[in-house]
Amino acid sequence: MAMVKVPIDVHRGSPGASGHFDHFVLDLDEHTPVLTALLKIRDEIDPTLTLRYSCRQAICGSCAMRVNGKSRLACVTQVGPELAKRGKIVLEPMGNQPLLRDLVVDQQPFWERYHRIEPYLLPDPAHPMPVGKENPMSPEQVSQFQETPRCIACASCFSACPALDSDPNFLGPMALAKLYRFVVDPRDGGFHRRLEMVQNQSLWLCLRCNLCVEACPKDVRPAERIVDLKWMANQELGKLEPGSKHSIGFAENIQEGGLLNERKLAMDSLGLVGALGQLPKAIAMMRHGRSIKKHPPIQGKEDLDVIYRELAGREDLQHRAFTREGGVRGKSPPSTSAVPTATAATSSAPESPPANRPVSKGPTEGGKA
Amino acid sequence: MKVAYYPGCVAQESGKELDMAVRAVAPRLGIELAEFPNFSCCGSGFIDESNYALNTAINARNLAIAEKAGLGVVMTVCSTCQGMLKLAKWNLAHNSVLRARSDKVLSQIGMHYQGSAEPKHMLQILVEDLGGAKKLSTLVKRPLKGLKVGAFYGCHILRPHDKMGFEDPEDPHSFEDVIRALGAEPVDYRGRVMCCGFPIQFVKPKTGQLLAGKQVLDAKRHGAHAMATPCPLCHISLDTYQKEAGKQVGEELNMPVFHFPQLIGLALGIAPDALGLSRHLVDTRSALEKLGAVGVPA
Repeated sequence: MAMVKVPIDVHRGSPGASGHFDHFVLDLDEHTPVLTALLKIRDEIDPTLTLRYSCRQAICGSCAMRVNGKSRLACVTQVGPELAKRGKIVLEPMGNQPLLRDLVVDQQPFWERYHRIEPYLLPDPAHPMPVGKENPMSPEQVSQFQETPRCIACASCFSACPALDSDPNFLGPMALAKLYRFVVDPRDGGFHRRLEMVQNQSLWLCLRCNLCVEACPKDVRPAERIVDLKWMANQELGKLEPGSKHSIGFAENIQEGGLLNERKLAMDSLGLVGALGQLPKAIAMMRHGRSIKKHPPIQGKEDLDVIYRELAGREDLQHRAFTREGGVRGKSPPSTSAVPTATAATSSAPESPPANRPVSKGPTEGGKA
Repeated sequence: MKVAYYPGCVAQESGKELDMAVRAVAPRLGIELAEFPNFSCCGSGFIDESNYALNTAINARNLAIAEKAGLGVVMTVCSTCQGMLKLAKWNLAHNSVLRARSDKVLSQIGMHYQGSAEPKHMLQILVEDLGGAKKLSTLVKRPLKGLKVGAFYGCHILRPHDKMGFEDPEDPHSFEDVIRALGAEPVDYRGRVMCCGFPIQFVKPKTGQLLAGKQVLDAKRHGAHAMATPCPLCHISLDTYQKEAGKQVGEELNMPVFHFPQLIGLALGIAPDALGLSRHLVDTRSALEKLGAVGVPA
């Protein structure tokens, strides 16, 4: 136990008024949670301080805010490390949601997106839900959810997301991670509909900056699940619009010579008209001595050809470890059972090994690094 | 320190000035570059979106090339290359199915991935293996006094931190330490760990440019005379598309953006021309003039 002097700047203000920071200095143990410090301020110094909290143990997800710029749950963020890093603690309301007062935001934009993804099982005519009994899943099927069921809807990821901050069409990390959870649910009938919905809306706006992965207090890893969704959209729907054209086109681009042909990439992703729009840029670059020529093929290109020949094209789901019944396309289920029981699911995908999980995780080999 | 130099695609073509700067500063920093014309692209965070196994195998091949030459470090000079090579290495270590796929196809081309080579960005090598800021400051011939620089990290060198294994993913300091060692003053701004918008430059250009504009504006508002980045893809967003980025944020930005080794090169006394500064779309002279001692490129 080490008591330290903790300088804390707390955002104060309401919509319409320009916000400001109130400065407090508290004597605290270095392990004190930020939330405890805030409650001390409210209870002992300024009863008008407005904040949202409930459980104080990272279950309810109510106390998310920005702590020294990082989106965090105040209840599990200790003052010591923040103080060591920054010399003080600056507390601000979450990002990407309008301010209500002090540290409290209106979460409507967050919940609105959550509802947009239809966060419930959609009926599947080919697999009617059993009446009067449960619809069990095998442990393997449950494992495909990855960490997504852990989400406590605290909106830390939503707060941290720079894509949301720049494009209101983006669904955001939480809604997409939740969407992934329904897309891989073998009981759900909305597989294609869900993929098409995000393909058209906003899947490709994810930047893979991974700020959501760092912000999430439950290690849901939204950005990694969004890559999975992109992968599924590419597998299932192909080159539909610039996002999928770009990532599928990129793989084809590298196949040609081993290194990126930048000029071709612009053409493939943006189309002829879009690429023509890049012409002034190309001319400006040439004026500065920069050309975008095609690289000569790399040495050992024939080796790369072998890798492409063996692995390119539609990806075998084995190593993706993503098994809906009979694979991602959803082949007909075993006719004897409308319910994907553990046995039925396993026997209908005999090519899938038990270790089949998305590549971004390898729990059988030790899980997280 | 001998490393397998992995320049990546952009530094070999549209961003050649980065490669020029790396070659100019490496020997002075004590880095010996071994070159491998058989390295391929890293996948850039796009190939794995359509094929995980392919993406992993091409990077297993890249790493195996360095391993075969007996080299323990693959030096990247691009945050994205670094992220992708490191992610592939993580997958090869943690996903037995992917590993088996990759091993099989590599054996068909007479190669073998052992996992002995470590992908490391040049910035990481500088701070972890070459004595860090302290050693670097002893090499400085022309301190960048008076220059306020906004470091811009590039996401993939930092995040996800449990797979990248470098430093604090949301509040790093290695680049600022380097900037200080060069005699310049780092600018503290939130945008330094944000996204430059590059991944969607060809998907939703205006949103990509808006993101770039916001980060440049953030650096500018915090007093930066220039920015510097260890990622040539960020450089494309921040420099090459800065004019468009400025339009998105409604302000002319005029922010010189250096590649990280260019900034080092300037402090080590290398002529600006040798660092390819004239290839930038945003004129770097405003920053060079701040340094006084530095000649203005033609």
